[in-house]
Amino acid sequence: MPPFLDALLALAMVALAALVLLDRHLVRACAWFVAFAVSVALTWWRVGFAWLALLELLLGALLTGAFLFYALDVKLWAGAPQVRLARWRDPVPLTWRRGLLRLLPALAVLAMLGMALASLADASGPLRAGGLGLIGLGLWAFALHRHLLRRLLAFNVIGTGIFLILMGLVGDRHPAAGHGLVVTGLLVALLGTALGALLIRRLSGLEVRGVRSAARAGRGGA
Amino acid sequence: MIDRLGLLAPYATHLSDFSAMMLVLGLPVLLGVLAACWQPRRSWPIVAFSLLPLMALAWLSFRVLPQGGQTWLIELGSLTLQWRANGLTLLLLLLTQVIVLSSAAYAPAYLREEIGSKGQQVWLWPLQGILAASLSLIWLAGDLLTLYIGLELMGLAAVGLMLLPGRVDALAAGMRYLLLALVGSLAFLLGIALLLGAWGRLDLVGLALAAKPGVLLWVAVALLSAGLLLKAAAFPLHAWLAPVHASAWTPVSALHAALVVKGSFFIVLQLWLVLVPEARVAAWLVGGLGGAAVIWGGLLAWRAAKLKDVVAWSTVSQLGYLLLGFSLLIGTTPSVAEVAWEGTWLQLAAHSLAKAGMFLATGNLIYSTGESHVRGLAGASRRMPLSLLSFGIAAISLIGLPPSAGFTAKWLLLHASLEAGYWPWIAALALGTLLSAAYIFRVFRYSFVEDAEPLDYRRVPWSMELFALALALASLLLGLVAEWPLMLLRAAGGGA
Repeated sequence: MPPFLDALLALAMVALAALVLLDRHLVRACAWFVAFAVSVALTWWRVGFAWLALLELLLGALLTGAFLFYALDVKLWAGAPQVRLARWRDPVPLTWRRGLLRLLPALAVLAMLGMALASLADASGPLRAGGLGLIGLGLWAFALHRHLLRRLLAFNVIGTGIFLILMGLVGDRHPAAGHGLVVTGLLVALLGTALGALLIRRLSGLEVRGVRSAARAGRGGA
Repeated sequence: MIDRLGLLAPYATHLSDFSAMMLVLGLPVLLGVLAACWQPRRSWPIVAFSLLPLMALAWLSFRVLPQGGQTWLIELGSLTLQWRANGLTLLLLLLTQVIVLSSAAYAPAYLREEIGSKGQQVWLWPLQGILAASLSLIWLAGDLLTLYIGLELMGLAAVGLMLLPGRVDALAAGMRYLLLALVGSLAFLLGIALLLGAWGRLDLVGLALAAKPGVLLWVAVALLSAGLLLKAAAFPLHAWLAPVHASAWTPVSALHAALVVKGSFFIVLQLWLVLVPEARVAAWLVGGLGGAAVIWGGLLAWRAAKLKDVVAWSTVSQLGYLLLGFSLLIGTTPSVAEVAWEGTWLQLAAHSLAKAGMFLATGNLIYSTGESHVRGLAGASRRMPLSLLSFGIAAISLIGLPPSAGFTAKWLLLHASLEAGYWPWIAALALGTLLSAAYIFRVFRYSFVEDAEPLDYRRVPWSMELFALALALASLLLGLVAEWPLMLLRAAGGGA
């Protein structure tokens, strides 16, 4: 296969991941995530893991995307948004100082990983480079963001990066073991995201109720 | 040490052994689902039905022990899983079943009286069953894929159990726990990926032979250990533990402190013994963290205002002893490792029983007084001697007073530290004992205040008292019959 196309695919994955992790508008970030999952599925298909591509489409793009939108209380069939847009934005802006400071742990892990991978001689194209990029980006975002949904997104991106590196390392030599690990990992990521989405939804519901009852109590006192 | 872990045990030939093992794994889940359909209102049906997995375990022991150990190869297409059982795993399986049984039998009265109709009670039963099965899977696993599956199942079930109260504080703590557990499992998976990429295998025996020291092995072990120690609440990665317990239901807290954190510790110790058995300096560092955990956890337990926080911080402290044992097992002389081996596992068993008993007793105290603060116990000694007795008996083992199993375990660890010449460890053991005595007697001091204004006490249902007392007594009695678990541990061989 032409290496140019592989490089382009890896670049597209990392760029989409960056959009997922940096967009402060959460609905848009989740939409980017679905696009990201589709690009990952495309990569799996390119390197010859058709089953993983299918699973990624089903579990990653479809189900995980559905749970993410559920966490935000977005109804895709409702058309125009029913609630205020403010709830769909991460209120914490990105400052350079904080961003650079939180970059350090991600770089440390990347350096460690890079050293370990360098001692394995065989190079393998887009999977390893793309995987490393995703892990670095995801770790940085995980350390940076406070918003629960954005941390959930970051976790999913790191996980995808690890799956890519795993299959890049294992390749065609031990496909059974690699597939077993990745499928388990995908299921765990889906279950974790589902649990997290339910929690976020429930927490925000309880918060709204708390604010309302506090406001009522305030009115009653006044 | 690999033979001690039972990894070199002979392969099983009979199908009946395999079915015994599947029963041990499957029955808890089945019973959990059944309990979700017909929610038990009393304790005795739970005890009666829990005898089934115990009988399966007895059958398995009867088949396995005469040969010292056994290995099963499970073929799934082109994928081969490897499971094993020996004296050590059977001991851990028994511990799991006893503690899950007790906390499940404690639950009906607790749910009826304390919780009422709040929270998602139906889910308690299947999640407990899944937790028991996943822990059993971790004890039995002989390859990294099974370990990964077991670890993830255990983590998700534990998070689910923590969320059951459904209040804001429980959900917030549960969300933090979920994120930490997920990150820990990602680090674990990355470590496995490196090992698989370098040596192309996942079975622990094969990795022990194939793994060569180098950058890659170190990075892989560092990633694996970081993920697991985070899940095991090892110092300094312990900050999530106390808030999680503060809002959880009592039987869930007992299960979590007694078993879930031990699962991660077991995997980490096993991986180090298999992959880097000579890494003395690194193990010494981990042991240093353990010493710090003993002292820091003890101090915070001593200062804690809430009763549940005292018990949760004491878990951090007691896990420190396990890490001390860990450092005495890796890279030390065989005679030291011999003693430390017995001390570590006995400490694990003693702490599991004592901590589960103590959490249940604490739950009784909180239920009866309606107070979650240590101060609220003032005058409790006159009204609820039985709960305080359970608390005290569990405390005997936690402090390490004879004749409890905690005493025997700490004595063995002390002996190993002396022989290895690890002097700071002896200081940590001594300080830890003093601190645990301090935080326990602080609780008792408040409860024996005589001139407190009388509170309205609620009568604790007898089943709640019974199972707290039973677990506490078990930790005490295990010390009197310590020769029996130690014999199981010594016979852990097979092959050797």
